[in-house]
Amino acid sequence: MDKKHRPSLSCFLLTSLLVAAFAAAPASSEPGVRARAEAKKLRTVVIDPGHGGMELGAKGKYGHLEKDITLAIALKLKALIEKNLAFGVVLTRDKDVDVPVENRAAVANNVKADLFISIHTNGSRQKAAEGSETFFLSSGQTPDEETRRLAYLENNGSRIEDHVDKPSESDVKMILWDMAQTAYIRQSSQLADLIQAELNSLLGTRNRGIKQAPFKVLTGVACPAVLIEAAFISNPNEERKLATDEFQTSVAEAIFRGLSKYLQIYP
Amino acid sequence: MDEEKEEEREEEKKDKPDRKPILALGLLLVSLAVLIIIFFTGGEREKVRRLAQVSVPKAAPAAAEPTARRTVTLFFLSDNDDLLHGETREIAAGPSAADEAERALAELIKGSTGGLVSPLPAEARVRQVFITKDGVAYVDFGREIMEKFSYGSSSELAAVYSVVDTMAYNFKSIKRVAILVEGTEKETLGGHIDLTQPFPPDYSIVAK
Repeated sequence: MDKKHRPSLSCFLLTSLLVAAFAAAPASSEPGVRARAEAKKLRTVVIDPGHGGMELGAKGKYGHLEKDITLAIALKLKALIEKNLAFGVVLTRDKDVDVPVENRAAVANNVKADLFISIHTNGSRQKAAEGSETFFLSSGQTPDEETRRLAYLENNGSRIEDHVDKPSESDVKMILWDMAQTAYIRQSSQLADLIQAELNSLLGTRNRGIKQAPFKVLTGVACPAVLIEAAFISNPNEERKLATDEFQTSVAEAIFRGLSKYLQIYP
Repeated sequence: MDEEKEEEREEEKKDKPDRKPILALGLLLVSLAVLIIIFFTGGEREKVRRLAQVSVPKAAPAAAEPTARRTVTLFFLSDNDDLLHGETREIAAGPSAADEAERALAELIKGSTGGLVSPLPAEARVRQVFITKDGVAYVDFGREIMEKFSYGSSSELAAVYSVVDTMAYNFKSIKRVAILVEGTEKETLGGHIDLTQPFPPDYSIVAK
């Protein structure tokens, strides 16, 4: 709610982003739209609060739900970024609603996001499991297929968006979106590393490190993308922490600091 | 008199159209009964024939080794680390790898006998395992695997890879594992791990 200091600016940013998003999807090959987008140079972070609506995510012993805590953290992070960085922020959901996993990546690609941050709280069947970790994508495929994908990407240029935009090549578009994240693995791992370091120092939770896993939400995202698992809601001690405003603010702050450090490397 | 006759004829006319639908209905019922009889008897005969065909090759090995067993390794979680831990189990052997795979998964769902943590909800149920010629095992779960548990990333990873590693570790013909729910491809079990691609095994998360 800090953003109330400058509601008019953030409102303007959001609306212009949404307008750009809708305009870009069907008619982005139109040179006018492109030129305008270039001229604006408005950079965008997409924040994805995990789960929502009917899909609860992990559940805590005291009844707290992953979907509620991820949304609270996401709203705090949005306020921090809008207050301190020259970035627009788009949320994949700003209330308790269902958003299909593939739509979350589509939101990021439609607004031509520069960074994608998915926020989760972890759950395990091991009662004692605790700590925080940051994931980036592993495709879960065989090395052969991975190599072929990379070769394909190298042969077809590094900027995937240039291909994705052409509406006439809808098949190509699907394929490229399907493998979009593969081109950004190195930057994603760096972003994960920097955010993880801040989670460790600010939260004091056990360091579970950075890891790779085939997360559905990350596969189609055409920009550096990470998924943060801040503490375990399935662990009663950490659930109690996660439910506090103070801890949620610390998670947002940690992500914000990691993000800021990343932007010093890739300005 | 003529009028009376005419009246009688009229009555006859009235009677005739009244009888016609009853006759038609009767004919319909009879033919339906015949059809039903043909349907059921025909069906049964076919069933018998199919059973006979299958039971011929099945009977021979079953008679030769009536209590053939084999050992499989199932992968569970431990409370002490984030790795999968193997636990061996005896299951009935044969006739096909898919049959054995179904039995191994049923044991995995039953849970650990050595104090390890079960990675799958106890209500989970395997409908079928199908193994393709190029080594992809399709493990088809009932809806319970999605409905009876709220997954976090860790529990979802553990559920997926306990199945994937248990399959690939014990069955040479299985190179990759695809997870289906109620016969259809699902995006994820609980919003995290991508189920739209078959998984190669990951033994880096197995305790040495």
